[in-house]
Amino acid sequence: MRMRPSDILLRIGAYAAAGVVSLVFLYPYWWMLVSAFRPTRAIMSNPLKLFPERIDFSIFSEIGRIGGVDLWVYVWNSVLITGLSTLLSVVVTALGAYALVRRPDLPGFRFLRYGFLVAIMYPYMLLVIPVYIVMFKLGLLGSHAGIILFLALGPIQFFLFEQFFRAIPGEVIEAAIIDGASEAQILFRIVLPVAAPISATVALITFLLNWSQWFPILIVSKSPDTYTLPVALLSMNSELGSNFQGIMALAVLTTLPIAVLFLLAQKRVMEGMASGAVKG
Amino acid sequence: MKTVAKLLGAGVFAVLGTLPLKAQQLVVWHDLGDNGVKWFEAMSAEFAKTKPGVTVRSLSFPTDQWFGRVISALNTDTAPDLIYNNYERVIRIETQTGKVMDLKSAFAGVADKSFLGEDDLRVATFKGKQIIIPIQRVQMAFGVRKSWLDKNGGKFPDTWDEVKVLAAAFRDKDPDGNGRADTFGMALQAAKPRDLIHMLDLFTFGSGLRHTLIDPEGKITIDRPEHAQVLEEFLKTYSTYKFVSPDTVNHSFGEMYQIIEGGRGGMFRVGDWNVRKWDGANVLDGDFVSGPWPKFAANRPNSVVIGGMRGIAVPENSPNKALAVEFAQFMLTKAAQQASLENVGAAVRKDLDVSKLSPRSQYFAKAEHRLVAYDFPESIHSFYPELEAAFHRKLLSGIANPPADWKPFIAETAKEMRDLAAKLKN
Amino acid sequence: MTATIDAIRRGRIFYLFVMPFAVLTILFGVWPILLSIQVSFTASATALRPEPTYVGFANYAKVFADPIFLASLSRTLIYTALSVVANLAFALAFAMLLASALITRGNLFFRLALFLPVVTPDVAGYVVWRWLYDRSFGALNAFLDIVGLPAFAGLSGKDTAMAALLIAELWHHAGFYMIIFLANLAMRDRSLEEAAHIDGATAWQRWRYVILPQLRPALIINTVYALIQFLKTFTVVVVMTKGGPTDATNFVSYYAYQLFDQGRYGEATAMATILFAVVIVISMSAYLIGERGARR
Repeated sequence: MRMRPSDILLRIGAYAAAGVVSLVFLYPYWWMLVSAFRPTRAIMSNPLKLFPERIDFSIFSEIGRIGGVDLWVYVWNSVLITGLSTLLSVVVTALGAYALVRRPDLPGFRFLRYGFLVAIMYPYMLLVIPVYIVMFKLGLLGSHAGIILFLALGPIQFFLFEQFFRAIPGEVIEAAIIDGASEAQILFRIVLPVAAPISATVALITFLLNWSQWFPILIVSKSPDTYTLPVALLSMNSELGSNFQGIMALAVLTTLPIAVLFLLAQKRVMEGMASGAVKG
Repeated sequence: MKTVAKLLGAGVFAVLGTLPLKAQQLVVWHDLGDNGVKWFEAMSAEFAKTKPGVTVRSLSFPTDQWFGRVISALNTDTAPDLIYNNYERVIRIETQTGKVMDLKSAFAGVADKSFLGEDDLRVATFKGKQIIIPIQRVQMAFGVRKSWLDKNGGKFPDTWDEVKVLAAAFRDKDPDGNGRADTFGMALQAAKPRDLIHMLDLFTFGSGLRHTLIDPEGKITIDRPEHAQVLEEFLKTYSTYKFVSPDTVNHSFGEMYQIIEGGRGGMFRVGDWNVRKWDGANVLDGDFVSGPWPKFAANRPNSVVIGGMRGIAVPENSPNKALAVEFAQFMLTKAAQQASLENVGAAVRKDLDVSKLSPRSQYFAKAEHRLVAYDFPESIHSFYPELEAAFHRKLLSGIANPPADWKPFIAETAKEMRDLAAKLKN
Repeated sequence: MTATIDAIRRGRIFYLFVMPFAVLTILFGVWPILLSIQVSFTASATALRPEPTYVGFANYAKVFADPIFLASLSRTLIYTALSVVANLAFALAFAMLLASALITRGNLFFRLALFLPVVTPDVAGYVVWRWLYDRSFGALNAFLDIVGLPAFAGLSGKDTAMAALLIAELWHHAGFYMIIFLANLAMRDRSLEEAAHIDGATAWQRWRYVILPQLRPALIINTVYALIQFLKTFTVVVVMTKGGPTDATNFVSYYAYQLFDQGRYGEATAMATILFAVVIVISMSAYLIGERGARR
């Protein structure tokens, strides 16, 4: 099929528009990366420079300690808190959603589902305020455990699982029941094997979302000992001044792992988030 | 349900592995950043000489987080052993929680304290309670970029008129020689009440006046002629004179430092705690001189301002209260004070070794200029913060829409402040 | 009664499955909400004590008499309305562009470029935007200066601060709305468009009367999500403006948080409850209006 000249122009226009918008969306990343390698004074005298004057990693030793805690503690907290809360989230949400989908008729299950839906409607940052009091009452204030437990629940995870379990044909399970399988056998032999891909998607999305969390962590923490990278980033100002280049370097550390993970698994993440949302 | 949660929490916690509990560790929360952390580390080492096995761990939070955290910790009995900050911030903690310990008898137990005067102790006392032991006197001078000054006559500005000439030159004559009009006459801040009013305080006290907004009897001072003059010139600095970055209304100290340390501001506040960083090769490399704040009238004395007092406080529910008090007392010893001077640039003792400091730090350590202290209105009028917040809002609205004539604006502001002060007093 | 007990007994394995989920939902969802509502009826100074003093609706009265709160509530509603429209319009336009036959090669690149900010930690993203906007050394104004456009006051201007936040938030969220539109566009019935084309409908008519009605599900979902999202706008304020300049971006969620930080727990939780009610009423009505439209 030959293209008419007007179609070619239209096509050029479309690419130009998409290209400009994409560059605007990507520019902040480039600027962050470049700024991490430029001294504050250089950034201020020429903010548009596209490449650093020189590549110098000394800034990472300069931010080796933030607020009295070593940088590696923040990195470790990020990995630990995000990793464990993801694991917990997948297990807990999968089991919970499975039970709620299989037997919505059981006493209390409707109430539980509504309770969950209401909780995710509650303004998140304002829910965290009473969570402080709950953590205090449970004695979990300032502990990794408190943070991990709180981060284990999320709407997208629940909707993805719920949608998946609903799609499992009823005949498959009925056949298993007729064959005399127990509910535990049905779960472990029939349902969970097919749920592996969806679990991977949920794990991936939870990891991405929880890596970005900062407010609950800030509230539940009693000291920077349990801060993750985004919280440390937010705490880079002190009474004695702030380190601009250091802030950018830490922003890079916070963003880079997650950006790489996303690019490696982009298809699964984008499709998963879209279908999780469409369900909700 | 509670038990289940506890079990669950305990289970996960066990998986994570609990942190080993140190036998004797004091925890102190401050907002001094990494230099402050180093200072407390140095003091911890020194303290352990008399108290073997005791370590002091300090954690630094941004100031706004420090507030929220201290208030909720004191309210829930999860307080740290000690808290460290400016006296007026500790006052706010006391008014919100009522759980700051009275250190009067602890202070009486310190033998070597003659270097603290009556003013210092007045600041430390709130409603009859000694809420802090004063540790660092906060000095603030007026700073000028040395190389920029040298290109413009080299004379440190003494009067406000000289400052205005210099500010215009710094803005217009490309003092950094990079060929771009990217410099500002001054670097100030204005975003929050404490930012803008703090700057006004410096100009007010530095030029020899005694009160910024309200005097000890509760009378509003801003429309007295000599006060009105300072206020008007101050407001014009942000507006009609265009001496500061147009972003300044939104700048707090972080952004102000950005401009100063980025080498784009010509004149600015120099706190004794700033010098160490600004002497650094990557920052200003010592390219600044400090002096007293400018005079607004030739016959008034100008000075460097003592703009506050940082001190150590002990929460009523401090976990190791007795030891915490001992450490608070220890912070006045010569060794602790020397560490304070070297790490943070301020102290209260007068017998410290200053020979290792840079000339710019020595300017403060030796108090080379006349010093004048704030009137500390928040320790006299408990409603002051609210009044100040209203004053700040009013001034910002003036800066955002500068009137052709500031005098009616100032008169109107004075009236509003009088009405509000009368209302708040009841 | 016995039937219920019997049902529970026979379904006990499902109770076992649901137990962890139930515990977490109750501990960190239902309980905090109830607690928050309870605290909103107590005096702040006693709120955290074992036996708080109850003050009835005093906190609510105080909140509704507070001009700063009322201003911040209307500001929140205005900002939400503007953000929802801007985000959805942008996301829909870009999704249409990517779904059209015009862009074939590089389609994935454009999707990734727009979606990457969605998974980027918001704190890191906003820290960068905050400096891009800076009047004196931000890249944005340096660029405007080079191309000869007037400077953008950004976060420092009372009238521009909200727009500046809106743009930064759009950068962070629009990719999410875009992929939902794209998913919906991929499912649409293309034969309808061909039929319309043969009938001589213009491109606009085809879009308005054939494509748009088919996008109703995505529009409803996105609207509800965006409403909930922007009514709760918070992080961007914490990182970029702290509510300033002169309260121009002091939204309800941030204002409530400030009060909480000052130990004014009663008023803070009263505001939380009010905002909760607003979120539920608005998002539910948006959902119901959308659904009713679908049935018509």
